[in-house]
Amino acid sequence: MQPERAQEDDVKLLKAIAARDEAALAQLYDRYRVILFGLLMRILNNREEAEDVLQEVFLQVWRKAEDFDENRGRPFTWLVTLGRSRGIDRLRTLAARDRVAEAGAREAAEEISDAATDAFKSEQRGLVNKALAQLPDEQQRPLMLAYFDGLTQSEIATRLGAPLGTVKTRMRTGLMNLRELLAGKGESFGF
Amino acid sequence: MVHDDYKEMIPARALSALDAAEERALNEHLENCSECRKELEDWQATAAALALAPDPAEPSPQVRERILSEVRKDRTSSPEVIPFRSPSRNVWSSFGSLGAIAAVVLITALIVGVIVLWRQNREAQERLARANEFVELVNTPGARVRELRGIEFAQGATAKLAYDRSGHALLMASKLPPVPQGKAYQLWFIVGNKPPVPGKTFVPDSTGSAVLKDEMPGEAVDANVFAITVEPAGGVNAPTGPIYLRSFEVN
Repeated sequence: MQPERAQEDDVKLLKAIAARDEAALAQLYDRYRVILFGLLMRILNNREEAEDVLQEVFLQVWRKAEDFDENRGRPFTWLVTLGRSRGIDRLRTLAARDRVAEAGAREAAEEISDAATDAFKSEQRGLVNKALAQLPDEQQRPLMLAYFDGLTQSEIATRLGAPLGTVKTRMRTGLMNLRELLAGKGESFGF
Repeated sequence: MVHDDYKEMIPARALSALDAAEERALNEHLENCSECRKELEDWQATAAALALAPDPAEPSPQVRERILSEVRKDRTSSPEVIPFRSPSRNVWSSFGSLGAIAAVVLITALIVGVIVLWRQNREAQERLARANEFVELVNTPGARVRELRGIEFAQGATAKLAYDRSGHALLMASKLPPVPQGKAYQLWFIVGNKPPVPGKTFVPDSTGSAVLKDEMPGEAVDANVFAITVEPAGGVNAPTGPIYLRSFEVN
């Protein structure tokens, strides 16, 4: 999800973190905090919980950086998969405990600093949102419910009142279409 | 199922949206199919693009501070060095008693050996007894068995929970990561959207195995989700730590 050079830098940072380089962790945090925090806010809709999970994610990066294998994927994918997964875990815990009040409007995000904006690939965000907007609603919704709400296909079928087979097909087609829409948008997407 | 069936499931797996049984089947296939593993990595990269869709947001500066402070603590707390005690008497004077020392060492080694064997035997018998109890419980009319799988920190860990309508429950877990000092695993029973009902705490043995006998409170018998978190050793009334293992929806 990013130009090759930035990716190489990320690989170097993860290697340095695996060698217990604290400054490298700080650098990786500065590079990804707004993306990951935005993602966690979208999943959890609660600032305090999202910050707590963000902290957990980076502590896990500190402990698990040596597990990252550059032959098996990009640092961005590894980091985001980790962050999203921790976010969904927390969402389920909260849902089970007493779901975070959904009625309230989403908490306003604080203004983002210039440095963070610089690191954040706003152009790529625009491309992803444009691609999502191009997907038919029936394909987009299963993707969003799975990715941000952590629902399984059966749960999505129940939520949408659609047959399971239909949900499976729409989800697969949706992700395939997303990939096609993002392909050829410059080297940045890398698939 | 054939290769193409599994291949069709991969995009949903990249979104972690497969139902438990399908995910289990696909995971088994992935172990032996490098082509599908590669494909999963590609789909995961596509799924990761969705992380860019939400508005970016700035966490408070304290988060950065907290992370770095934890990391520093982590660095300074390990490794633990136990200093050698300085010799309390002249080395030369020990020569006279070497024979006695050798005898003591030999006898101690023998005693330790006997204790280890006795313990191993006792542990094996206990494990067998628990396994029998598990089978008995499973055969009770109306008994249920749920499988829990490790996520994140506990990838590869598995557990089986058997329970009957009266709430007798037995959990057998393996490949659990060790818990930090002062912490223990705790079992949770989750019924719909109600607060999780706490179960007992337990600590795995040196091989990562654990067996836990528990009595589920009445309301927990209808639980549809079971989870294991890491909590303070005495246990807590509401989960505070990350989920290490969880059951998945049964459809």
